[in-house]
Amino acid sequence: MAEENKKRHKTMWAKFIVLMGIVGPGLITANIDNDAGGIATYSLAGAQTGYRLLWVLFPITVALIMVQEMSARMGIVSGKGLADLIRERFGLKITFYTVIFLIFADLGNTMAEFAGIAAAGEIFGISKYVSVPICSIFVWLLVIKGDYKVVERVFLAGCTVYLAYIVSGFMASPDWKMVMTSVVVPNFSDIKESDMPIIVGLMGTTITPWMQFYIQSAVVEKGISVKHLWESKIDVIVGCLFMFMVTLFIIVSCAAIIYPSGVSITGAADAAKALEPLAGKYASALFAIGLFNASIFAAALLPLATSYYVCEGLGWESGVDKSFKEAPNFFTIFTALIVLGAAAILIPGIDLFQVLIWSQVINGILIPLILLFIINLCNDPDVMGEYTNTTTYNVFSYGIVGLMFIVNAAMIWFEFIK
Amino acid sequence: MSVFEHFPEISLHFSKSQGTPIYNEDGNKLGVLNDFFVDYEEIYPVVLAIQYKKNKQFFYIHWNDIKTFSYKKIVIRAGAGIGRSRTYPKASKTKIINSLLANQFQGDTVEYPALGKVILDRQIVDTSGKKVVRVNDIQFIKTGKNLRVTHAAVGIRSMMRRLGFEPVVDGVFRVVKPKAKYLSKESLINWKYVLALPDKSVQSNVKVSLNTEQIEELHPSDIADILEELDNHSRDALFNDLDPKIAAETLAEVDEDVQNSILKNKNPEETAKILENMDTDDAADILDDMDIEKAEQILSNIEDEEIQEEISELLEHEEDSAGGLMTTELFEVSKDFTRSDVLRLIQEKHEELESIYDLYIIDENNKLLGTLELRDLLIQTDDVTLGEIMRTKHMTLVSPASHWKEVAEVMDKYNLINVPVVDDESGELLGIISVDDILHRLLDH
Repeated sequence: MAEENKKRHKTMWAKFIVLMGIVGPGLITANIDNDAGGIATYSLAGAQTGYRLLWVLFPITVALIMVQEMSARMGIVSGKGLADLIRERFGLKITFYTVIFLIFADLGNTMAEFAGIAAAGEIFGISKYVSVPICSIFVWLLVIKGDYKVVERVFLAGCTVYLAYIVSGFMASPDWKMVMTSVVVPNFSDIKESDMPIIVGLMGTTITPWMQFYIQSAVVEKGISVKHLWESKIDVIVGCLFMFMVTLFIIVSCAAIIYPSGVSITGAADAAKALEPLAGKYASALFAIGLFNASIFAAALLPLATSYYVCEGLGWESGVDKSFKEAPNFFTIFTALIVLGAAAILIPGIDLFQVLIWSQVINGILIPLILLFIINLCNDPDVMGEYTNTTTYNVFSYGIVGLMFIVNAAMIWFEFIK
Repeated sequence: MSVFEHFPEISLHFSKSQGTPIYNEDGNKLGVLNDFFVDYEEIYPVVLAIQYKKNKQFFYIHWNDIKTFSYKKIVIRAGAGIGRSRTYPKASKTKIINSLLANQFQGDTVEYPALGKVILDRQIVDTSGKKVVRVNDIQFIKTGKNLRVTHAAVGIRSMMRRLGFEPVVDGVFRVVKPKAKYLSKESLINWKYVLALPDKSVQSNVKVSLNTEQIEELHPSDIADILEELDNHSRDALFNDLDPKIAAETLAEVDEDVQNSILKNKNPEETAKILENMDTDDAADILDDMDIEKAEQILSNIEDEEIQEEISELLEHEEDSAGGLMTTELFEVSKDFTRSDVLRLIQEKHEELESIYDLYIIDENNKLLGTLELRDLLIQTDDVTLGEIMRTKHMTLVSPASHWKEVAEVMDKYNLINVPVVDDESGELLGIISVDDILHRLLDH
């Protein structure tokens, strides 16, 4: 009986990823990318710069498509996760330090997600001392004890809630002609010095280290064969375009309503509050629901995904189906991420801002490195066979790495030195 | 003068020896030790050669040409032959070649890949612990003038050693908790239980010898667990090398998603061959999950007509109904059979039958006349016929349309291990459902 029971739970994660796969690994990965940190950045961008920076989204989306495509292709051809490949190609030492940094970066991201939950709750008048503990317990139970079918429904529903932003964007009734022009025509002359941190933030929150691991495992678990390489490319492109749309509408909502009013905001919750007197309470509520949904979505997946990659890379047992005794490291990491992430929001007097900046810094150091690993692996015929990168692809990829490096260096400079 | 003159320890770690400088007898440095070549065909492989790297190129030196070996430096004899290759050409006297080794023979030599490249940091199957693990380090032992591989190290201690934290962590443990398990016990897997998996990243013409007998001794459920943990390529490689019968039993045990991924790359003929070796109800379950076109293609490739017919009958029923759950391999006998007839039948047909404990007595139209438990038959005399002793009243039956939950309730109420499925109108015996078909659904519920 124990044997059967074990088998039943065995691949809940695998099943979950397969489900995500049916919807499309690219689509899901892009959705999770619009998490609490992302929404905050987009709101700021809209409120402070109006439509001026919309054109930046275009090159960011192209870069995201290229990076995601490499990870997906690598998963399909090698049949292995990114942490697996890094371990096998670069050895234990490099894997170990990468993983340590990844844990810290993701801990920071998890805190940001719980901060998003707290902020969204407060818009509806719910104290963070109520919303955060309840949500963290909910997330933990959902993943560890949850029945697969329940989890499936919860997350599928979550995906559709992202449409709230598009509705909210239409309710803001922006100047569509101007939106279109701003997206397509780059406007370099109007860039002000104060726009730089926003451009940097937009790039930094869009291309993150952990989503590269995520998309690759999703593709591997789905078991896509080399025959379907093209379908997978389309999936990646569609996913990134969806992310582009959601991002665009968040910026547009804030640009149409908050920017002309000149109200100064510092985050997504501020944006939702600022929308209320200007665009009505429904637009504001939709915005807050979107934030809550994105935060809790990522707060559940990020710690889970992180625990999987760490265990994969270091060769530890992993799986929500296992008992604590079988996979102690896995459960410790997962639980610790949630507990620390939630607790950080509740400790009075803790400087959350510092924590978030540090996690962004680690993210920033990590992403060019992870991208270099990806490019290196994508050029290794031992891993990729005949599906290695072409020279042109490499030139662009190294260009992206260079750009990410500059962007992240700039982000650190803006947030620390200035 | 011995090769281990400056190496007093008994065992040697791969991680500690990597990077050791290699000199010739004149004191000129050739490069640093990168890897070992071993004889994969032995249970405890002997080191045949060492590999070193210089200017991004790989060279090998035969073990016999090493004058002295230690963690500090390796000295090579004058006139040693040095080969430039990533692999090592091993002369083969054609020992036992399994199918995985077969395609790498070219002429009289086998191109062996380096040990670290195929084992270190890679996943292996620990056939004694029945799980998939990642190797942190490899342990050798001195045997006379030679080195032999003895263990794969997987625990936290080997990880610390690789990371270079061993002296610090060991020191801390000695002060804080001198009796800690960490210090006295290292997690090692004896090499005879190590099953290396051919990896796509090792060039396809060089593969490592696999000791597949070890894995075939495991229970199919355990092999299934191992397959579920592997990546697609290793999974296919391991599965394709299994004995057909074991492969079929294993396939019935693995998760639905893994079943799909294993069968995805197989053509209908190959799939049909595997399904033929399975119990018909399991085979029907697998086909039921596929799209109709593909399932029909596979079904038409099944050579044994009887099996083919049974499976297609099973496929007509709803998956959740008694008809979808039942197996058609049951112990059907005529009422004129005597005790000795039955015992002879058991000897002949026991392999095809899922259960022999219940006998179903039918007429020429397959109508169920009565049932009999084997133990009630065993206590009778040899010439008694089944018609005389079978149970005909109050037989517990289910209809093919019954939901599995109803079946479970019936089995629970009457304490049954098997229950016959009978057509409502004709009274024809269609199959039986055994408790293990119901159990996993109950647990899933």
